[in-house]
Amino acid sequence: MLSQENRLSFFLSFASLLGVLLIWQFSTLPQASRSPYGIPDGNAEYQRLMGRSAVASTVRSDFPTPGAFARNAIEVLHAPFHNNGPNDRGIGWQLGASLLRVMIGYGLATLVAVPLGFVFGLQPVIQKALNPFVQILRPISPLAWMPIALYTIRDAELCAIFVIFICSLWPILLNTAFGVASIRREWLNVIRTLEVRWPQRLFFVLLPAAAPTILTGMRIGLGVAWLAIVAAEMLVGSSGIGYFVWNQWNNLSLSNVILAVLLIGLAGMALDAALAFVQRSVRYAE
Amino acid sequence: MTLFPFSRRPYAFRAAPCDHGPALACQCGSTYPGIFTTGHENGLPTGAMSAQASVPAISRRHFLGAATGSAALAGLAGLFAPHAAMADTAPSGVVEKPDLNIGFVPISCSAPLIMATAKGFFQSEGLNVQLRKTAGWALIRDKLLDGSLDASHLLSPMPLALSLGLGGNAAQPIRVATMQNINGQAITLALKHWHKRDPRDWKGMTFAIPFQFSMHNLLLRNYLALHGLDPDKDVSLRVTAPPDMVANLKAGNIDGFLGPEPFNQRAVYEEAGFLHVLSADLWDGHPCCAFGTTASFAEKYPNTYRALQRAMIRAAYFMQEPSNRLEAAHIMAQAAYLNQPEIVIEQSLTGHYADGLGVVRDNPRRSGFSPYPYPSMAVWILSQFSRWGYLKENIPLQETAQRIFMIDEVRKQAAALALPAPEDGQNNWPVLTVMGQRFDAFHPPSYSKG
Amino acid sequence: MQNSPALSPTFAEPHDADALVQVSGIGKRYRPDGPPVFSGVSFDIRPGEFVCLIGHSGCGKSSILNILSGLEQPSEGGVIMDGREITGPGLDRGVVFQGHALLPWLTALQNVTFAVRARHRHMPRHEIREKAEHYLAMVGLEAAMHKKPAELSGGMRQRVGIARAFCTQPRVLLMDEPFGALDALTRGMIQEELLKICAQTQQTVFMITHDVDEAIFLADRVLLMSNGPDARLAEDAYNPLPRSRTRETMHHEDGFYTFRNHLVDFLVRRSALAQKAATG
Repeated sequence: MLSQENRLSFFLSFASLLGVLLIWQFSTLPQASRSPYGIPDGNAEYQRLMGRSAVASTVRSDFPTPGAFARNAIEVLHAPFHNNGPNDRGIGWQLGASLLRVMIGYGLATLVAVPLGFVFGLQPVIQKALNPFVQILRPISPLAWMPIALYTIRDAELCAIFVIFICSLWPILLNTAFGVASIRREWLNVIRTLEVRWPQRLFFVLLPAAAPTILTGMRIGLGVAWLAIVAAEMLVGSSGIGYFVWNQWNNLSLSNVILAVLLIGLAGMALDAALAFVQRSVRYAE
Repeated sequence: MTLFPFSRRPYAFRAAPCDHGPALACQCGSTYPGIFTTGHENGLPTGAMSAQASVPAISRRHFLGAATGSAALAGLAGLFAPHAAMADTAPSGVVEKPDLNIGFVPISCSAPLIMATAKGFFQSEGLNVQLRKTAGWALIRDKLLDGSLDASHLLSPMPLALSLGLGGNAAQPIRVATMQNINGQAITLALKHWHKRDPRDWKGMTFAIPFQFSMHNLLLRNYLALHGLDPDKDVSLRVTAPPDMVANLKAGNIDGFLGPEPFNQRAVYEEAGFLHVLSADLWDGHPCCAFGTTASFAEKYPNTYRALQRAMIRAAYFMQEPSNRLEAAHIMAQAAYLNQPEIVIEQSLTGHYADGLGVVRDNPRRSGFSPYPYPSMAVWILSQFSRWGYLKENIPLQETAQRIFMIDEVRKQAAALALPAPEDGQNNWPVLTVMGQRFDAFHPPSYSKG
Repeated sequence: MQNSPALSPTFAEPHDADALVQVSGIGKRYRPDGPPVFSGVSFDIRPGEFVCLIGHSGCGKSSILNILSGLEQPSEGGVIMDGREITGPGLDRGVVFQGHALLPWLTALQNVTFAVRARHRHMPRHEIREKAEHYLAMVGLEAAMHKKPAELSGGMRQRVGIARAFCTQPRVLLMDEPFGALDALTRGMIQEELLKICAQTQQTVFMITHDVDEAIFLADRVLLMSNGPDARLAEDAYNPLPRSRTRETMHHEDGFYTFRNHLVDFLVRRSALAQKAATG
């Protein structure tokens, strides 16, 4: 049984979805006039060359109607893993390629940022010494890294991974450092009085104590990585969901672009939800 | 064994009035082997002599002195460096590197590359080619230079610009293996300008071009200048990806573009614009896209390079045959290639098209395909580079052109395939007619800007 | 046992020969140019003894305990335990912290197991667990050992803390106002249990408190600190009550009120005078 509030919020989200669909449908209704500036209709052959079927008297609108979008989406999603060589692969492949890149770049970023964050958190001197550099590098947009990466790393695939790496590094690093630095003094005193050795200190006390904060950084980092990969692939990709967007835009196929945009959003949400699940499992109440 | 490959083609000296041999040609520097083949209709010594007389203005010594310390020097030093790898081995030599990554930008100009793949021309040369659809010319350039592409579809000015180190890159010698296509571009205007057909009315407009070092940019600038507009002051030119050209035309952000097919026809199809003029009507036979690779690749894998040339020559001949165009359009429309409506590609390839203003037109010369990289065309491109300030140094135009647009290589491979020679026979330096104006590669006009 | 409080200040050296812990003239200052929080503090703790330290806030009680535990270093003087100077924390001293200081992501059992494993690095897993369960049972927490600290009441958390400190079988148990945050009823119960366990195990305890009754009930000796800054150890008072005392009957014992009044009088009046006397 849903509570009153849940029912209301469910109703509101349903209503807003419906509203968006209605506005979409309404604003993409076929236009009546098809002779702007008094340009003549031309003969039947002209009509054929313009892609106007003989029966339909209306012009296709650029932006697909919700119906047209849905038909196209079903068609594309029907065979998400078709593979006709590297230039024509299904959207499932593309999404997978993007996820793989993110996993590699983001995984490397985590492997670097978490230990480095521990060093920062435990050694305030090092944190103070390196913090200015971190603060300068942190706000740089993923796309600003791209030309530098292309010029130095050259290999496009590595560039994309590097861009993900460099963008997701900072939030993980800073959150880890913060999480470690704010571990409660008395827990540290406990492990000192118990003469716990370093590996145990790290894995049984420091890591679990800082884990919720680290996970917060990792969630931010993953969000940034997902933003970056789509942009990077649109620039240099030969696969991936960003490449799919570019390739469909090259064909001016807005239906597919919208579909890809929705999938990007859904995949981003799923990635965040997965990390949120992990975060819940390491969270503790004091 | 001679040091300078360009002086090493004995047939280039066939018509030489004073045969002082390759070594001498190198020493005096002002003697271009190529000029002796300059046809001037019949290759008469008088014509050749007059051409010869005009060239010494830019001697190699002069060039080396003038360009000391410049980026172009570094580039040209590489260009003229002695190398003997391009041995004239038999065309049937073993392919050294059968698995190749070749880049292309999804436009109609890449038709020969697509056909060479789809019709098995690469395969029959023992090449296993993977075509890589690439998002733009800057990326094509980067990927070719970093070796992730073995060879690539290029805009024909790109090999010249890259070899000279223009546009901020370190100079890296690039070869045109074959030309891909001629004609096949157009100036598209927004529908709202249907009455502004005179370029003199275009002051203040914004036009899109696909790349700085593109025939599109050079043709548009030439066209505007011909009609009294300064392309740097009177209009604004914006480098834009082709699909963005159509979208921006529709949105009203640009007034027109000189773009590659099928995007001109696509703008018509989307009812965003109309075809103002076909590039075939500006300069019939102008080069557009080339197929090229780095000089180091060509030297390292000479047999592979020649196999690529042969496949691309066959593909260009295939495309040039009008009866093959519909089949080509069908193949090119596939998602793996252009990913465009077939009917749009068809119109740009066959020249039977809707012009966007309600009229069906026919121009069989709208798109053409030719594998021959004429050095005279390269000289035109280089002269335009100078004209628009991309090239600051004085360089030996003909020598540079010949070093990058190596037409004789292509002729040799075409002959090996027993394909008919082009209409102009063996003339590598045809006099061009660009927008009604005569262009002689040995007497390039001195442009005074503004 | 003496019937009247021993009013002999223990500023004097030498230490007892059989003392387990010898604190010699320690002092602490946090700024080199500022006044010391306390100074010249010397006392002994003999094996099996339960020593309470009472003083007002700011007299540096917790600092003294931290110096004993090795978590802090004294600015002057030193502490010798078992003939060796204390330079850092160690397993020979168990600490029950003011806040419970349990690791909140571990259950009660895991918290204790963690300490047992630290003490006995090579003990088999099941033995470690048995030992941890034993100490939790000792503080009456068999039923709640799989709960996390957040699910336990304040008293139960502090019991886990005590079990954790006991399970490492330290030579000295150091307790820093362990029951300060508990309600009176719970506090009383835990105090009784603690006393019982200490009697059973002959545990040496050094405890900080500001509760006079707690000190009288638990301690064999009560150390009284004068007020800070520059606090001193003013008195070393022996508890005259028999060790068999219980909370219910304690106030009927002879000398209870004399001793209590003595302590309260110190805290209310003399602690400030002692400070004046010390600082001149």
